[in-house]
Amino acid sequence: MYKPESYEFFCPIKFSSGSRALENIPFELEALSARKPLIITDKNVTRRGLVRKMITAFKDSGVTIGIFDGIPDVPDMQLVTELSNIYRNGEHDAIIALGCGSIVDVAKVVNIAVSYNVKILRDLAGDNLMAHPLGPFVLVPTLTGTGYETSKFTFIEDLTFSSYFLMPDLVVIDSRTVRSESLQTTVATAMVALAHAAEAYTGPGKNPITDAYAYAAIQYVKDNLITVLTKPRNKEGRLALVNAAGMAGCAFSNMKPGLIHILGEAISAMFHIASGICMGILLPYGLEYTIQKNGYHTYDLLLPLSGFDEYAGTAENLKAEKAVNIMYEMQQDLYKVTGKKIPRTLEEANVPKYMVNDIAEKVFKDGAREFGIDDYRMVLEHAWEGKPMAHS
Amino acid sequence: MGDYREVQAGSKPFKRAYIAVMLWFVGRAIQAAARVDKAVREEFEKLPEGFTFSLGVQPHGPYMIVGKNQKGRVKYLGWKPESKVVDLRMAIKNIEAALLLFTFQESTAISICRDRIDFDGDLPPALTVIRAIGIVEVYLLPKLISKLAIKRYPVWSFGRKYLGRIRIYFHSILGY
Repeated sequence: MYKPESYEFFCPIKFSSGSRALENIPFELEALSARKPLIITDKNVTRRGLVRKMITAFKDSGVTIGIFDGIPDVPDMQLVTELSNIYRNGEHDAIIALGCGSIVDVAKVVNIAVSYNVKILRDLAGDNLMAHPLGPFVLVPTLTGTGYETSKFTFIEDLTFSSYFLMPDLVVIDSRTVRSESLQTTVATAMVALAHAAEAYTGPGKNPITDAYAYAAIQYVKDNLITVLTKPRNKEGRLALVNAAGMAGCAFSNMKPGLIHILGEAISAMFHIASGICMGILLPYGLEYTIQKNGYHTYDLLLPLSGFDEYAGTAENLKAEKAVNIMYEMQQDLYKVTGKKIPRTLEEANVPKYMVNDIAEKVFKDGAREFGIDDYRMVLEHAWEGKPMAHS
Repeated sequence: MGDYREVQAGSKPFKRAYIAVMLWFVGRAIQAAARVDKAVREEFEKLPEGFTFSLGVQPHGPYMIVGKNQKGRVKYLGWKPESKVVDLRMAIKNIEAALLLFTFQESTAISICRDRIDFDGDLPPALTVIRAIGIVEVYLLPKLISKLAIKRYPVWSFGRKYLGRIRIYFHSILGY
């Protein structure tokens, strides 16, 4: 087993997962000294009946809940100010984000605003600029994650906040709230988790604790994604995928972003494709690059992907290649199972070939200098054509 | 502000009532079993005199409080934990978790493993109390149901099982 020379790992999150996990929230809030939470969500979540389920879960607790369900797809700072006023005027003492993506981004920024001061919010954007912990923050994710929900990051407008204080105090994963919205959102949630976990498991920042989180996340995605897509009512499978997203987020908070993440986010921003879909396309190519470049532990990835028997039965020098092949097979399976709705290549995702160079340059200019521009270009070109690097 | 509203969480009166009755009866049955059954008596002998424990549902009950008095007798002390010094608090995290436990869909051991019960107190007395409750469940419930509630169904003599059951029900109903 890999023993790093030195490492650090931090994760303050308590997970509560299961078929009746929502009902634990009042108990856990009391442990966090909170009595009047503000639930932040959007109209879509309300329409799907999840807010009603949340209210039912609070029955018998004697708690008064504030509910704000007006989070738009692209939130702004004005909304943060409005929500901060609601929080203060309503004398709330905890935030519950019900949903994923922009809902969680706004909830995290509102937590900064009410714990500090909304006027100095912009000054706190950046890396580790918050000096003290924030108010109690509970996350109840759906199956529409972006990979950042349990992480130390949040984004609003052009601002990026990064602090361990932004990680939720409690993540409640309940099979009633993790319903699939569409094939695409399910795949995107799972693939961003798989990409983050695979990069944590194979990257240079690898350590025994990120390994534990990443291993479970990889295994959960591999074992459950296709099942959930073919049987969307499979509760255990959905629960496993959202658990994987949560665990991958914790691992991701303790590592430097890898090549797959960096390129995936860039393509997502430039072409408005879900970052999980982009990372799903890039995953095998990024891993092949990792093998070629430094060979960091990619062979170990075979264990969570294939199980003990296949791992033990594969020669050491073939393990990494086999792990990457499983990723390629997974891409093909997703393509077939979703009726060709999930692209396997950047070409299928409608990214123009002439833009490959622009993406590489943009990523490099934006400051992601851990990798060379040629490295970015090479991975992008292969991912555009769908041509494995090992065969080039 | 149009997207904001405040909601007062309601209550679950029927579920609460069911759990209250179950806790009331189990509390009295523990008192009775400590008189009738040697194994339960021996379990409670390990606990210090004056030791009191509560089992209830967070945050507002219902509860049962059972204690051992200065004479070493185990007594059901009612359902109000207020104004009582409790050495061991066993708090079921919510009414749904309590229902799983008291409708025997989940055994006590599994419920604890799934973190549905929060313990505030020392571990050895907590385990003693759990073992005693397990024996009481064997007395109170038919084999088919109590097999779901405990780890392993014990092999008891006819006399211990059926005469003990009659005596415990008798004492529980009469409350002594």
